[in-house]
Amino acid sequence: MKIFKKCLLAGMAALALLGVAQVASAQETDQVGRAAYLDGVKGKKVIFVPISQGMDLNQAWVMVWQRHAARYGFTLEVRDPNGDTNAGIRAMQGAIAEKPDLIIVQNPDVQTYARLLKQAQAAGIKVLQVNMQSATQTDSYVGNDWIEMGRLEMGELAKHCTGPNAVSHKVVWLAGVQTGAANIYMRTGIDEVLKANPELQLVSDQPADYISEKARQITETVLQQHPDLCGIMGIWDNAEVGAGAAVAAAGKQDQVTIVTNGAGAATGCESIKNGLLDVIFNFNAPIQGEIAAQQISELLQHPDRKAGSEKTIFFGPITRVDKTNATGRNCWKPEDIK
Amino acid sequence: MPGSGQSDDRRLGFKASQEVVVVAISVVLFLVFSATLNNFLSQGNIIAILKNVSILGTLAVGMGFVVVGRGIDLTMVAVMVVGVAFSIWISTWGIDFTLAVICGAILVAAIGLFTGVMVAIAEVPPIFATLAIASSVYGSGRIVFASDVLYAPPDIAWLKFVGNGSVLGIPMSVVIFGAVAALMGLFLRKTRFGRLVYATGDNPNAARTTGLPTRPIIVTQYVISALIAFTAGIIMTGLVTGIDTRLYNSSLIYDVLLVVVLGGIGLSGGQGGVRNVIAGTILVGILTNGMTILNFSYTSQNLIKSVILLGALAIDAIINPRDEQTSQSGDI
Repeated sequence: MKIFKKCLLAGMAALALLGVAQVASAQETDQVGRAAYLDGVKGKKVIFVPISQGMDLNQAWVMVWQRHAARYGFTLEVRDPNGDTNAGIRAMQGAIAEKPDLIIVQNPDVQTYARLLKQAQAAGIKVLQVNMQSATQTDSYVGNDWIEMGRLEMGELAKHCTGPNAVSHKVVWLAGVQTGAANIYMRTGIDEVLKANPELQLVSDQPADYISEKARQITETVLQQHPDLCGIMGIWDNAEVGAGAAVAAAGKQDQVTIVTNGAGAATGCESIKNGLLDVIFNFNAPIQGEIAAQQISELLQHPDRKAGSEKTIFFGPITRVDKTNATGRNCWKPEDIK
Repeated sequence: MPGSGQSDDRRLGFKASQEVVVVAISVVLFLVFSATLNNFLSQGNIIAILKNVSILGTLAVGMGFVVVGRGIDLTMVAVMVVGVAFSIWISTWGIDFTLAVICGAILVAAIGLFTGVMVAIAEVPPIFATLAIASSVYGSGRIVFASDVLYAPPDIAWLKFVGNGSVLGIPMSVVIFGAVAALMGLFLRKTRFGRLVYATGDNPNAARTTGLPTRPIIVTQYVISALIAFTAGIIMTGLVTGIDTRLYNSSLIYDVLLVVVLGGIGLSGGQGGVRNVIAGTILVGILTNGMTILNFSYTSQNLIKSVILLGALAIDAIINPRDEQTSQSGDI
């Protein structure tokens, strides 16, 4: 019996030692699949052709992607055409000629790059479109559900501008660039809401070109024509501050509801606090950037998959931000992302 | 001395100048819109028209001043956005905003001085010099400021007054435009310097041979036009709480030039004055306002605008055919 006990103890000790040894070797074991992941993305080349890097959303995306690229050893080059479509075409042609592993593109409108994107895919380059789509569908799109955005914004106005208590049923759509994807698809969403709420009256439909002074001028003119205006919806918070300024100058801040969308930057929250804007449908550009970062990794990990053979769409988050929640993660600053 | 501000080929009796044509078109449009559009003739809408062209008009006064001296200043929009953006940018370091605006004005004047030196002393043709300088000014700004849109600090009383204040019911933006235009008008008409600008514009070589200080005159013109551009930028910042540097990429600089040429200041220099600028500005203002009220689409607005502007130029060409003198003086 004693011998048996000793044997048991010895056996247990041996097992324990073995266990320790195993734990030690487990510390050197790689996370399952990590090596393949690193191998897949390391040394790859990604080129981003934006509309302009001067916009808050672009800055957020690129900050997120650069961090991702630095961590996993691929390169990200930004070829900024700075709002110039011709320069954008040259940047795209240059990018295709360089044969990177992936091109990320933010389309200025649905047509300009449509053929170039086909060329890129034919040349075997995968293409990820961000936030602004082209008529050509490519491997992936990460960005807003713009039809839903149009529905949400006009739906918000429908809440304020229908029913017996509404000041009037008159609403305004301050468009961006009429050939841009955001504009075209938002319009579809807007029309759906207008159809469902026939009493809503769209009294003006003019593009402000994403420029605040233009938004201000249009709003000022429309307010003269329709002093009982109920609501304004727009396409970018940084432009609609101009509409807000015109409404404030007319002393109609309580009467006119101003709804727009934006990247969720702190400047938008400031505009809500200053009373220039009422509601921003915030598409949180840093989170959008994170989704796109994962999509970049996904596309880089499958070099054998033919470009354009599988098409994926990711719609990012949309948060309704007003005075009550214009804080915290709904109002990011560039330094928060780093 | 051909400094009357009018070309010399105006002969006997009444001769419709381009300015008269533009004013006539404005009057016709005004009457048509008044008759057909509700609230067009309201006091509020008239003020809105003026307010909406105050920035364009202010810029056009500066441009007109340079064009009268046979120059052209394509740096105006770049200087406007970068000057104001610079002021806002340094105010984020904790510098008082008013002081920051003064620093911005100094920067802008320095840019104007540089442009003037390039044109007057290095003798680079103004269209190329200003095109290149505009691009470098905007480009430098683009590197320094991370964002396209810069917001002014929210609690600057005087800036709020520029945006929302009014004097005797007239918005400050219109008052500033009026003041800039009136000062420029007096300067061109009543001062010796103003007359020298006409002389330089009409015939630079003759002016120089006669012993006029043409180089200092040209340099001063570009400094003043840069400062006027900065003033327009301050009006814009007051109106919309910030400045959007992407305006450089818009057609604004061509609109400014259009207002100047449309109003009847020939690009060949030596003719016209502030009155022409105001005529052109008001036509564009009435047209844009009417079409916005009519809710015309963007494309049709551009089309109608171009047709009317082309029409004005064509009528002028018929009424005032080119003669040997005007064709010799040349356009740009």
